[in-house]
Amino acid sequence: MATVPKVDVGSDYKEKYGFFVPEDYIFKAKRGLNPEIVKEISWMKKEPEWMLKFRLRSLEIFRKKPMPTWGADLSVIDFENIFYYLKASDKQSTSWEDLPPDIKKTYDRLGVPEAERKFLAGVSAQYESEVVYHSLHEELSKKGVIFTDTDSALRDHPELFKEYFGTVIPPADNKFSALNSAVWSGGSFIYVPKGVRVEIPLQAYFRINAENMGQFERTLIICDEGSFVHYIEGCTAPIYTTDSLHSAVVEIIVKKNARCRYTTIQNWSTNVFNLVTKRALAYADATMEWVDGNLGSQITMKYPSVYLMEPGAKGDVLSVAFAGKGQHQDAGGKMIHVAPNTTSTITSKSISKNGGRTSYRGHIKMYPDAKNSKSFVKCDALLLDDESRSDTYPYNDVDAENVTLGHEATVSKVSDEQLFYLMSRGITRNEAETMIVNGFIEPFTKELPLEYAVELNRLIQLEMEGSVG
Amino acid sequence: MPFSLESLEEIASIQAEPDWLRARRRTALAAFERLPMPSRTDEEWRRTDVTKLDPASFSEFEHSNGFKQAETSLPDGVILEPLAIAAERHAELLEPALFSLVRADRDRFAALHAAFFTGGNFLYVPEGVEIEQPILRQHFSHSNGTAVLPHTVIVAGRASKFYYLDEYIGQEGEGAGYRSGSAEIFVGEGAQVGYVAIQKWGRNAWHLADQRARLEKDSTLRLFNVTLGGRFSKTRVEASLVGQGANAELKGIYLASGEQFFDFHTLQDHQVGNTRSDLLFKGALQDTAKAVYAGLIRIEKGAFRSDAYQANRNLVLSEHAKATSIPMLEIDNNDVRCTHGATVGPVDPQSLFYLQSRGIPAATAKRMIVQGFFGEVLERIPFEQARKLVETELEARLG
Repeated sequence: MATVPKVDVGSDYKEKYGFFVPEDYIFKAKRGLNPEIVKEISWMKKEPEWMLKFRLRSLEIFRKKPMPTWGADLSVIDFENIFYYLKASDKQSTSWEDLPPDIKKTYDRLGVPEAERKFLAGVSAQYESEVVYHSLHEELSKKGVIFTDTDSALRDHPELFKEYFGTVIPPADNKFSALNSAVWSGGSFIYVPKGVRVEIPLQAYFRINAENMGQFERTLIICDEGSFVHYIEGCTAPIYTTDSLHSAVVEIIVKKNARCRYTTIQNWSTNVFNLVTKRALAYADATMEWVDGNLGSQITMKYPSVYLMEPGAKGDVLSVAFAGKGQHQDAGGKMIHVAPNTTSTITSKSISKNGGRTSYRGHIKMYPDAKNSKSFVKCDALLLDDESRSDTYPYNDVDAENVTLGHEATVSKVSDEQLFYLMSRGITRNEAETMIVNGFIEPFTKELPLEYAVELNRLIQLEMEGSVG
Repeated sequence: MPFSLESLEEIASIQAEPDWLRARRRTALAAFERLPMPSRTDEEWRRTDVTKLDPASFSEFEHSNGFKQAETSLPDGVILEPLAIAAERHAELLEPALFSLVRADRDRFAALHAAFFTGGNFLYVPEGVEIEQPILRQHFSHSNGTAVLPHTVIVAGRASKFYYLDEYIGQEGEGAGYRSGSAEIFVGEGAQVGYVAIQKWGRNAWHLADQRARLEKDSTLRLFNVTLGGRFSKTRVEASLVGQGANAELKGIYLASGEQFFDFHTLQDHQVGNTRSDLLFKGALQDTAKAVYAGLIRIEKGAFRSDAYQANRNLVLSEHAKATSIPMLEIDNNDVRCTHGATVGPVDPQSLFYLQSRGIPAATAKRMIVQGFFGEVLERIPFEQARKLVETELEARLG
């Protein structure tokens, strides 16, 4: 056995990522949750009547639903001590130069302009609860692609919006989707018309930047028949002392022959509760891919799911979780096979260290009509020390004829042979471990666009630094 | 005779049980009265519906101590007696063991079993004793609407070695009834125990049972569960490895047809290091049968160099059969080797085609494939006699 590493993950976080700028908000709602706050949010946003009703109904549902009794311990969340709406600036900027300097400073640290210069098609950067910076390549608009924030979409594309909003994840789905439905703000809205392929990834950066502030963004993506889009969501958040709640809802509709890929790199600071509902509906011969990386947060509970609605639909989840000290990553995926000849795969890689806990939680359901469907789940867990913990909770329900379902999982440590080999080549133990960890998650990294892959490798390196004494 | 204190005292008097056992029954009855019926909001019972089960409607007892098969002679010091007798004669051995592994307060059904169990045996094998001939016990149900609740306690002394078989047998065409058939197995240091349970209650029975073992240092348990009977069958198969070098092999097969519902919950609990467990449950499902398997490997902190394997394989033979498989891991330590897997699938069409192309009729070919599917695990039945019994039984049922 190696000596037990005793390193406080995140102790150097503040210097490396934990920057924040003084609060300067146009409007700051009161703490707590009640119909008045919800009405105020809706009024501030000048929303149509139906949305206000939707919000109020969702609030009712939220109040009635009990807290989940499974998964991570959520009892410490105090719903009355959270800001449910913040607006950092009262008008949307159209170019980088128009952004308020405070916000710009934050994004400079994140490297947004540089990323844009390189290859971004459109940036919809979320600072607090409102999208403040937004640009879209003319080329995309010409093709009829809509890429905007969700609030603007409600205003500018009311019919399209109303047709799909809340249809994939209804408010009553779970307690946190109800909460999001009541107080949602911001998020991205994407519509890709028939046959249009968006070749460059669309991305938005999210940040939480005010103490005790919740972010309840709402994303809706519609891929019309035969279209393709890759959406990237990346998060880094400054460090604060009190708990922060992030509860997003992401709804995706992938129509016939279309393909959608949704990539997330979640790196919330280690005081954030990240409780997200993500679900996609995949129709005939459509493909939905979730690429989901969870590094930060205190607790993450997130199970991206795909409902395979029509024959030939395909769903993929590729998930990586990294849990350091005090962190619990409860992540996984769900594949609900409703129609015949549908296929799905879930690949999960998790790494625990310094007492961190990773849990894979998944569900494969084959309804009676899902004949001739196939599903395969593979979970690998790497435990870097003897204080850490790994769990696997795969639920597999088969009610259909002639289906094939497989599940495999392994839990292991960094093998002494591998370490010895690398060290005998003059590599330090720490570097060797980092190399092994990066190799372990390689199936995930190779699916990422280059600069994300680089960023992820760098993050892993930071997390691993000094981990072996 | 309802599940009441009066019935409890009556059972105890008929069997002339000592006070300690009566007191234990009464504690279990209190738990039975206190505990709620499991509901679908309990994780363990989410897919297992007991709303239609009212144990009170089966509160007439049948009891037998298990029919003896001729044992030529047992080595000196071996105790093999009905529980009620052993409770009097060997209280010092039985009292600390009884219901210490299969806890009465675990749920309402476990409490019911502990309060009203009748029949079953106590086996004690002293240090160093080997019994060559397997010990076979049969438990029968004879009539409709009754409760049959046998219980087995096995204590294996240091370095002892033996085989034990519990066979639960119902009558052809029997109506509904309430059945259990639990076993507690204490495997002492260096002991080697082979235990087989074959459940063939009638097709209308409700069966709820716990088989739980505790393994001391360097001991080996080979447990084999065969589930064939019952309209509803829920069995928990659990092993705690509490001594270094302990080795638990937990294997099971099930064949469900008609409207049968089978539920298995398994646990491989590695409390200390250098322990090994190997679990494989294989089942074939016909008609509208449904099976739920949920298993957990738990490696506790400090249980270094544990090696655990868990697999559940389901062969789905018909359109309407259903299978649920939930193989879980909870690993609290990094120096381990843990692997698990689950599969649910139909008969491989290529194998079927191959056999048919050799002139074998489809039905026969399918049966051969099912036999082949079980073959791998049948080899692990710890002793020849049980293996033959299971093979014959399977052949008759696959017909």
